[in-house]
Amino acid sequence: MLIEVFGPGCAKCETLLKNTKAAVERSGGDHAVVKVSDYAVMAARGILSTPALAIDGQLKFQGKVASSNEILDLIKV
Amino acid sequence: MSECCGGARPEPAPSFLRRGGWILLALPAWILLYAVIHRLSEVIAFSLLGLAPRSHLGEAVAFFFYDTPKVLLLLTLIVFIVTFLQTFISPGRVRDALSRRNPGLGNAMASLFGIVTPFCSCSAVPLFIGFLKAGVPLGVTFSFLVAAPMVNEVALGMLFAMFGWKIALLYAGTGVAIAFFAGLVLGRMNMERHLEGWVQEALKAPALADAGEERPSLAARIGQAVQGVKDIVGKVWLYILVGILVGAFIHGFVPEAFMASLLGRKSWYSVPLAVAIGVPLYSNAAGVMPIVEALLGKGAALGSTLAFMMAVIGLSLPETVILRRVMRPRLIGAFVGVVAAGILLVGYLFNAIL
Repeated sequence: MLIEVFGPGCAKCETLLKNTKAAVERSGGDHAVVKVSDYAVMAARGILSTPALAIDGQLKFQGKVASSNEILDLIKV
Repeated sequence: MSECCGGARPEPAPSFLRRGGWILLALPAWILLYAVIHRLSEVIAFSLLGLAPRSHLGEAVAFFFYDTPKVLLLLTLIVFIVTFLQTFISPGRVRDALSRRNPGLGNAMASLFGIVTPFCSCSAVPLFIGFLKAGVPLGVTFSFLVAAPMVNEVALGMLFAMFGWKIALLYAGTGVAIAFFAGLVLGRMNMERHLEGWVQEALKAPALADAGEERPSLAARIGQAVQGVKDIVGKVWLYILVGILVGAFIHGFVPEAFMASLLGRKSWYSVPLAVAIGVPLYSNAAGVMPIVEALLGKGAALGSTLAFMMAVIGLSLPETVILRRVMRPRLIGAFVGVVAAGILLVGYLFNAIL
């Protein structure tokens, strides 16, 4: 899977990136995690509040720092 | 505004009964604590430390030991309530409600939404573009962008708890009025061409559909509120301590005559002075409250004090720096200028009529 973490680089975005990497590690799968900090890309994807997370191009949530448990649930589905 | 976006990272879903029980126990404990802190602060300052009541140091120390637990207790409760209520509102819904509104009604709605919407300064850019892309007029978007930091929901709760509904209403009412007129004026100025080039390009691209909005359970909402308290109180306690130290110093040592001459209603320079001190003093709602409390107690005029508070919370340099990414200097200048003019106006208005 391709997991994208959107955020300009504030503390919350970094935490979400960290939680996402932890979730990927625990899932044991071969997933790519990409950090997107380009505002133009975020605008094109319809993101209103950061941090946000997309899996395989589909936006899963925005404006919250999900725990690694929550992200793990999203990856497993 | 930096302490916003509470409600991050919900807990890994505990059973609702456990959560509910925890809160039912916490509330009486909160009330009990709140009831005894005033007495406790006097015991600490005048009995335990043996300071003389009415002495400069004694009063300053008593203020410190009273205000620290008071502000922390109030902040905890208010952040909990606010974060809980915010789980019912999302920027996406606000955007949809505001899209293609006419100026006027749109500005009014945006100013009111700005108070309650969960919004973080690092989201300012995507939110700004998302609003414009969905057809929210630039002026209406500005009303929202001004109201969001200017009328801080936590500050509103703190003002209500510490100074009563009149001052809270005054703060909210004037903040909303500034946001309303600032957006109206900026909308009239046709500033669209002063957006950065890449923003104008981004606005031309077709909008993609949103992800479906989730509807969290009650337990998840409470979990988010608890997390909000942890995040915010954990982050701002240092600001609060500094604010209380400044407040305690003012309360104990600054003579009333000096304060009256500096921030009193009779001196014409008191309002701009309050704004000039406030802007670089970037703090947050909770940190500035003890200072406001001490200023009012020492006879600073209400208008000057409101202006000071709005400058501290509403006109922050970090947010301006973030918005510079999307706006050219002319537009940033107009934005800051209109907001600053509004704050000055509020200060003079209330110094004149109260």
